Amino acid sequence: MSYVVKLDQFEGPLDLLLHLISKAKVKIEDVSITEITEQYLEMLHLMEKFDIEIASEFLVMAATLLHIKSCILVPRVKPELEEDDEADPKQELITRLLEYKKYKEAASRLKEREAYFSGMYYKLPEEIVTKDTEDVLTLDTSIALLQDALCKLLQTRPGSRVRTPLIHEIKRDPITVNEKVNYLKDYFTRNSRISFFGIFEDIHDREEIIVTFLALLELLSNNFIEVKQDIPFGDIVMKRRVSNG
Amino acid sequence: MDEREVMGVIESILFVAGDPISAKEIGQILEMDVRNVRKLMKKMIDCFHFERRGLQIVMANDTYQLATRPEYSNYIEKYIGQDRAQSLSQASLETLAIVAYRQPVTKADVESVRGVKCDYIINMLVNRGLIQEVARMNTPGRPILYGTTDLFLRSFGLTSLNELPPLEAE
Repeated sequence: MSYVVKLDQFEGPLDLLLHLISKAKVKIEDVSITEITEQYLEMLHLMEKFDIEIASEFLVMAATLLHIKSCILVPRVKPELEEDDEADPKQELITRLLEYKKYKEAASRLKEREAYFSGMYYKLPEEIVTKDTEDVLTLDTSIALLQDALCKLLQTRPGSRVRTPLIHEIKRDPITVNEKVNYLKDYFTRNSRISFFGIFEDIHDREEIIVTFLALLELLSNNFIEVKQDIPFGDIVMKRRVSNG
Repeated sequence: MDEREVMGVIESILFVAGDPISAKEIGQILEMDVRNVRKLMKKMIDCFHFERRGLQIVMANDTYQLATRPEYSNYIEKYIGQDRAQSLSQASLETLAIVAYRQPVTKADVESVRGVKCDYIINMLVNRGLIQEVARMNTPGRPILYGTTDLFLRSFGLTSLNELPPLEAE
């Protein structure tokens, strides 16, 4: 025949101690450390037996209890020194227990209040559509106006085509990275400081932008140029690295 | 506008707001002195209670919000067809109690009273909006000082921290 032992879930070593003290029916102040230590350790063994993971805090408390117990058992060698050194560990523990008990009781009063007041239901704020939240569209908008806007937008990007042709022609790269590298080398030799943004200013072809960028990376990795950026997102100033010989 | 109409205006504003609004805000809308607003709100709260209305005005820290009356919650839950959301665990309530009575308080303080680590629970209480960072302590590491929120007051039926039931010693 098997039976199930239900162990209360303890919220920590102080909680467990309070439980043991209340079971012994003594006041916290009058607790016998020797007895309570034994019961506490027994409880830990029981927890171990039932495969309950024992948190390190429980072990720390066990050590504290044993320390207090040993202090009681062993006569003090230098009593006057001891007093200055540290407070009575037993008294300290009792103070902690009393303090913890206060909040534990406060918690149960809060629990009652919560149970009652969680029965209040609130309402979400009204969702109100105001002029500010409405999409900014004037009433005299027409399809023609939208088309106009689109055309203007497309025209601002020279070279971009309104219609994408269905058949793509595969072209040779108009400029190769190598060509660009050579061009830039020459350019950097003639100009001392070059702005990163400036170099792309006159390039509108997407492929050329990419090639130029790759060429710059190439020059950078070859230590041909050095770059400097003073502020985040600011312009990058590039110049030719002065070779040491 | 006579007083009844002013109260009607406030009631309708509270309805639209949904969220709590402060006495100051109400005063600005109605061009009234804040002290008079508070007096009027007290009257409204009493009136709602006296008439056992389905709605009540919940006051917390000088803010006001409409809510249903907890006495009628059984019927609301019957309508929803569901029980209330799970309440706070014993560990969370203990932690909340320590923060409420000792605030502003650091996590280390809470842990020393409870004798266990409280990281998870404190984060959970912050996420639920019951406690919040109120300041930083001026010691090495500048630890966070926690305090309770207005939501805490409302959740536990308190209008201010002074209404916390006294901590009893032994």
